[in-house]
Amino acid sequence: MENPKYQRLRDPDVLLSILDNLPTSIFVKDENLRFVYSNELHCQMIGKPEEALIGKCDSDFYRGEEAEGFLANDRAVIEGGQTNISEEMASQESGMTMPVLTRKARLKAPDGNIYLIGTNADLTEIKKRENQYRALTATVPVGVLQIEEGGGISFSNPLFNVYCGGDGCGEEGSSLVKQLAEAHPGFPGVACKFEGNVQVPGAEPRAMLVMSSGWLHLGGEKRSAIVSIIDVSEMTELRRINEEVSRLNKELAANMKKLAEAQDELVKKGRMEQLGQLTATVAHELRNPLGAVRTSTFLLDRKLRDKNLGIESQLDRINKGIVRCDNIITQLLDFSRSRQLACQPEDLDSWLAGIMEEMAKGLPQAVSINVMLGLDGAMVPFDPARLQRAIVNLVANASEAMVGQGDDPSKFACASPSISIMTRRVGEEVCIEVKDNGPGMSAEVIARIREPLFTTKSFGTGLGVPAVEQIVTQHGGRLQIDSEPGNGAAFTLWLPLTAVEDGSQDDAKVA
Amino acid sequence: MSRQLNILVVDDDAANAESLAELFQMDNHRVIVAYDGKQAIDAFSLNQVDVGFFDVMMPNMNGVDSFIEIKDKFPDARVYFMTGYSADDLIDKAVKGGALGVFSKPVDLGKVLATVEAEAA
Repeated sequence: MENPKYQRLRDPDVLLSILDNLPTSIFVKDENLRFVYSNELHCQMIGKPEEALIGKCDSDFYRGEEAEGFLANDRAVIEGGQTNISEEMASQESGMTMPVLTRKARLKAPDGNIYLIGTNADLTEIKKRENQYRALTATVPVGVLQIEEGGGISFSNPLFNVYCGGDGCGEEGSSLVKQLAEAHPGFPGVACKFEGNVQVPGAEPRAMLVMSSGWLHLGGEKRSAIVSIIDVSEMTELRRINEEVSRLNKELAANMKKLAEAQDELVKKGRMEQLGQLTATVAHELRNPLGAVRTSTFLLDRKLRDKNLGIESQLDRINKGIVRCDNIITQLLDFSRSRQLACQPEDLDSWLAGIMEEMAKGLPQAVSINVMLGLDGAMVPFDPARLQRAIVNLVANASEAMVGQGDDPSKFACASPSISIMTRRVGEEVCIEVKDNGPGMSAEVIARIREPLFTTKSFGTGLGVPAVEQIVTQHGGRLQIDSEPGNGAAFTLWLPLTAVEDGSQDDAKVA
Repeated sequence: MSRQLNILVVDDDAANAESLAELFQMDNHRVIVAYDGKQAIDAFSLNQVDVGFFDVMMPNMNGVDSFIEIKDKFPDARVYFMTGYSADDLIDKAVKGGALGVFSKPVDLGKVLATVEAEAA
């Protein structure tokens, strides 16, 4: 059974109506190249109704040269039997020309007659777009070319022509493409992006960024690749300059930081010098009256001792007050003085044994002292007066942490308060560890204990540990603090075995 | 049996100088008080001084320079220093010049009296 759809197509009116409504102009010529049919669009193109066309030749509508061209073309199709496809410019009656894609083929009809079937597709829009794209590629700062698979460059924009130094679609273009293919295997068939030096004729090799789309189907039978070439030599130079600027910026920032640190250090040093002078003056001015008070108290004690006035505890309080005041002054001096160290290599263990013996006398009786010396007579460069201040501070802190003033056993923080002083050598350093079995310190306290003026005591300047750290740092060493709540505290002074350059200034001279 | 000494106390701080003088007097020593370095030199010239207790920083002439001059005239002079704050260079100079000891102010009176006792022995 035949499809009813095809039955309807057998109706000539339907068929003609379809042909008249196609967006392609269709014409049929007989063997003598006279029109035998023209659809509506073809009539419009020529500008004549079909009746005016039938039986006429191209020469009846087109001028000499154009008509001859068509005629020769038509003959080749009719006689040679070869289908012809060509782009033509067709003149219209209005005088305008129109780009068309013409296809002409020979048809042998069932009645034995030979016909030429022609179609014209309007290329106006396509040509317009093509021209736009070409104009676009002419204005971009990029070399653009279309390479056909199997060789040949079908399009190159003006900038590519400049880069290859001649005809981009000719030998010069091919030579540049070959250069790029050598630089990057796979180019241009494989989609890629690479930077390479391109020898531009008559110029220095330039850094170029090359991009290829790889083989693409763009409509024809063969595939082609769209390649763009961007001159990045200036960008490369800019990038290099940028990197250099960035490097210099970093360097500058680092130097600025160093400068700021040096300034801070100078300011700090300046302040410390001022503080040192101030403290020295205050120490001198306070210690003189303190001396007079102490001596006078001593005299009072002597004069009144036998009179049973019951003033012993008051006198004792005065004396303790004097000691406290003196200790505060000493701590202020320890912290604010940064005089040049007078380092001499000395047997640290022997020296330490000596000062510990002396120091033990001044500690509350409840506190036991263990000294474990392990330096084996090692000679260590240090300033005895300063280092003694550091150790006195640490031992006093340890004692106070465990027994306070030492006068009220009910307030002791531990049952058997003891301080161990230990020395040992580790590599090129020696350490003096002052360890107690007191209440220890929380992480928060450890974090802040090196800060000047930070104190956990009800009395105290908060300058003890900072002074110790300053002294040991001045020796080129460091202060290590280990403690946890309930487990005592260990303060370790690390000192180098070789003397370091001491840059600190002499402080004020007052006595 | 300790002997009576002529003790020179030199301090520009009068309260200090006088309270110390009184203390020594209580132990039956004779005390001369001077308030600066120049007066100390005069005191040594005018008196038979057995032992001196000198402050360091004083107006007119500091204790150490005064001591050096005294030591030049009286090589046997016995002098101790008392200082509120160690001015290291001056103290060094004093010790090198023959000072017998340095007490930190406020001085430990037990130590000072023990020193005097030893001088008197």
